[in-house]
Amino acid sequence: MTDPCNIDRRDDLTHRIDAMRRGETTATDRLEASLTAIDRRNDELNAYHETLEDTARAVASEIDGRIARGEEARPLAGAILAVKDNICTTEGRTTCSSRMLENYRSPFDATVIRRLRDAGAILVGKTNLDEFAMGSGSEHCAWGPVRNPWATDRVPGGSSGGSAAAVAADLCDAALGSDTGGSIRQPAALCGVVGLKPTYGRISRYGLVAFGSSLDQIGPICRSVRDASLLYSVMAGVDPHDATTAELEVESWNESMRPAPDQLRIGIPREQRNAEHHPGVSEMFERAIDRLEAAGTSIVELDLPLTDQGISTYYVIAPAEASSNLGRYDGIRYGHRAKPMPGEGLEELYARTRTEGFGPEVRRRIMLGTYVLSAGYYDAYYKRALQVRRLIREEYDRAFEQCDLLLGPTTPGPAFRIGAERDPVSEYLNDVYTVNANIAGIPALSIPAGSTEVDGVGLPIGVHLQAPPFAESRLFGAGSTIESILAD
Amino acid sequence: MSSEMTTTIRQEDIASVRLIIGLEIHVELSTRSKMFTRAPNPACPEFEDSPPNTLVDPLVDALPGTLPVMNRRAVEMSAKVGLALGCSIAEHAKWDRKNYAYPDLPKSYQISQYDLPLCFDGAVDIPSADGGQRRIGITRAHLEEDTGKLGHELPGGGSYAGSLVDLNRAGTPLLEIVTEPDFDCAEDVVTFARELRSLCRFLGVTEGVMQKGHMRFEPNINLVIDTNEGREYRTPVVEIKNLNSFRAVEGAIEHERTRQLEEFLETGRVMGRGMKRTRGWDDQKLVTVLQREKEDAHDYRYFPEPDLLPVEMDEAWIEAVRREIPELPIARRARYRDDYGLPEKDASSLVEDRDLCFWFEDVVTQQLEATTETSVDARQAGHEAAKLILNQLAKRANERGVLAHETGVTAAQVAQLLQLRREGTVPPQAVDRLLELAEAQPLDMGELAESNGLVVVRDEGAMEGWIEAAIESQAQAAEDVRQGKDAAVGRLVGAVMKASGGQADAKDVRARLLEKLRP
Repeated sequence: MTDPCNIDRRDDLTHRIDAMRRGETTATDRLEASLTAIDRRNDELNAYHETLEDTARAVASEIDGRIARGEEARPLAGAILAVKDNICTTEGRTTCSSRMLENYRSPFDATVIRRLRDAGAILVGKTNLDEFAMGSGSEHCAWGPVRNPWATDRVPGGSSGGSAAAVAADLCDAALGSDTGGSIRQPAALCGVVGLKPTYGRISRYGLVAFGSSLDQIGPICRSVRDASLLYSVMAGVDPHDATTAELEVESWNESMRPAPDQLRIGIPREQRNAEHHPGVSEMFERAIDRLEAAGTSIVELDLPLTDQGISTYYVIAPAEASSNLGRYDGIRYGHRAKPMPGEGLEELYARTRTEGFGPEVRRRIMLGTYVLSAGYYDAYYKRALQVRRLIREEYDRAFEQCDLLLGPTTPGPAFRIGAERDPVSEYLNDVYTVNANIAGIPALSIPAGSTEVDGVGLPIGVHLQAPPFAESRLFGAGSTIESILAD
Repeated sequence: MSSEMTTTIRQEDIASVRLIIGLEIHVELSTRSKMFTRAPNPACPEFEDSPPNTLVDPLVDALPGTLPVMNRRAVEMSAKVGLALGCSIAEHAKWDRKNYAYPDLPKSYQISQYDLPLCFDGAVDIPSADGGQRRIGITRAHLEEDTGKLGHELPGGGSYAGSLVDLNRAGTPLLEIVTEPDFDCAEDVVTFARELRSLCRFLGVTEGVMQKGHMRFEPNINLVIDTNEGREYRTPVVEIKNLNSFRAVEGAIEHERTRQLEEFLETGRVMGRGMKRTRGWDDQKLVTVLQREKEDAHDYRYFPEPDLLPVEMDEAWIEAVRREIPELPIARRARYRDDYGLPEKDASSLVEDRDLCFWFEDVVTQQLEATTETSVDARQAGHEAAKLILNQLAKRANERGVLAHETGVTAAQVAQLLQLRREGTVPPQAVDRLLELAEAQPLDMGELAESNGLVVVRDEGAMEGWIEAAIESQAQAAEDVRQGKDAAVGRLVGAVMKASGGQADAKDVRARLLEKLRP
């Protein structure tokens, strides 16, 4: 049974790199095909802000030369990658989908960009996102929403919606996203692709435009779990530019290390199994559990009572950090500056600059964050949130004593219609299952789990796999096994 | 909200007025790079006076995507100061963000240490104006980063209608030291401030040039007023911002004493919640002026800095820092006084500058290590070195606007010169000439004296002849000496010196004349 929303995970980046090595295709041919596809589909999908064709073509041709001369051994040689537009690149602009940074060009590459270039990647373009990565639908964008390739009246999820849509529509081999509360995994699930949020401190944040600094992680959005592991292996590791990166060796992983289904001990949180989801999600999740059990996997039901506390904790910590991180956008040194009015003081100029430069969702979160950090409210909100954060970490520690990994749905439902979420809180609840991994700093992976039909259209949904800190290779092993079980 | 209280006290009701002063000191550390990035630090002599906005990198400019990385050297320097001030060093210190918007603060927050400072609970003893010792408690010393500067003057002169931002100073490591309110007079605050500056310079953590803002002082001042009826009133605390001279510190405190008393008599306002006000010092009018009414009008929204890990200084690291601490000025001064017999003033002059002090000690050591016939003890070596350095050498240095160790004369040469003098090889009047020669030539002092004809003549025959001739030509003086009038010997010595062309040792000549005339 082939799912209508399944992308061909065998035709993944890993496979395409091999094909180029074997001389069956060239980087240049593949790049041209991608650029053509982008040209054809981007007006509709609005996944890309811009393409970086000139450099991309030069890099592709250089790689083809190296392959022809038998000199190319780099792990990502010829990989066509899209980059979320909140990751700094010296080519093109880095806008964060904000009028504030409409014409901003970074003088430096993010550490991940440098590592990917060094590994032979071709950066094809910068992708659309919710402004400063704040959103779950890629609707809060300065230049229009991203559309889901499977149903263009629907959102692709967010905030890395441009990257997820680009991968799902095959407008690149893989893409980079950033994940503060689910921003990689939720759009990956809603677009039917794989998304990884690594352990906090595993991949350098240097060059990622900060949103919630204690939660943000860069990660890959891919066609397969093994692609995610490939990109992860290039990007992960300590970086002297980011003091929060861990000085821990990055374990290598390959498919030969894939465990058999009966070697897996998977924990299923009752709070996620029994919650009121979209019926398609509940159905999908029960089917996934059945298939795993049938394959011999041991399923452990357990309690994660703090599941529901994640969103409120997150909506204190993330806006608090954002309110501070976004203070720098004052129009003094760079970025948008309101036209000064005669007799206007500094405060007024700041206020108008920031009101003009930021969209409503960003302004809402800055105000929220400023409020929770204010004298007299700090203890009731921020300090309390940090206490709950510790409890959530401890809850995970206890859970991982009973199982190797946790499995749940990535989202409570499939993609919603563009413009449907008028209430911010109901939009925020899209991240109910993903956000705790950010709060606890643990790694998590979303894997396509088929689709559900809504109004006659098949919409992808995903399962969410979580592992203890720095156990990414466990995630890849189990993820790859589950990927096969669910796809067959 | 405010628990402002008023009362009516008249001048004649007052029995006594006492000052209470606590001090905050900002010290710019002279690391090569800034606190959280590799951009050069203008508080390091190599980079001072750089043109505006040249000591800037993406982090200093707060470009999106940049992250701070802690400068370990700045942490070590701070711990060093903390240890020297008798503080405990935190095993676990953390960073916090202090949020406020201003164009000289590019990130819109300052990385500082709010509730877990690096150093805390220290104390220093200073000589008090009342003649005794006074113990000043050190509440804490924490690290943060400096801001940029706003100006209205164009580079190269000329004024500008708007504000110009110079980010060179933004991110310079800043050590903030906070004392307990243990001072009761301006003199002691100045003594402490000078002592702290000298200590920091000795530790090599700052250039300590006040005019350049390397050290800025902020006293918190109020009065305790006792009435004849036995009641006590405390005036609201006033903080004076950014004083960068000792004179200003003294002036501001003295002015506040008068001003706060007058204000109290007029308004009766006493200390209460949220009453702390901020004033500045007007260097021209010599008065303090109101800057901000209430401190807690500012809400800095402190929260833990998520981009940095806490500072974990383990025992080994602290010990390594402790080993780098040289003998401190207070201890050195005491040693110079006790071991070398130097007056307090001379001892202070020698420790005023770290390099001068180390150079002086080098001169002493080299004398003690030299193998010569005339032996010297430490007391004599130290005493004589200090006298030569602080008198003849300092005079020559002053004329050139440098310090005594910077004239070109080496420590070895000074040690040799002192030895030559002790042996009587060169006469005292040759010292200045020899220093002049040594400034230009790094040669052995003995050789310099020899080749320039400055060695005392040892020709006994010639000496005998000059003495005979002098007694003959100054017969009256000779007779006076014979009669016991010692003062008359000077004229005879002068005649011998003249005859010798200045190469005789006057002291030796005097002794010989007395020997001859009054055997």
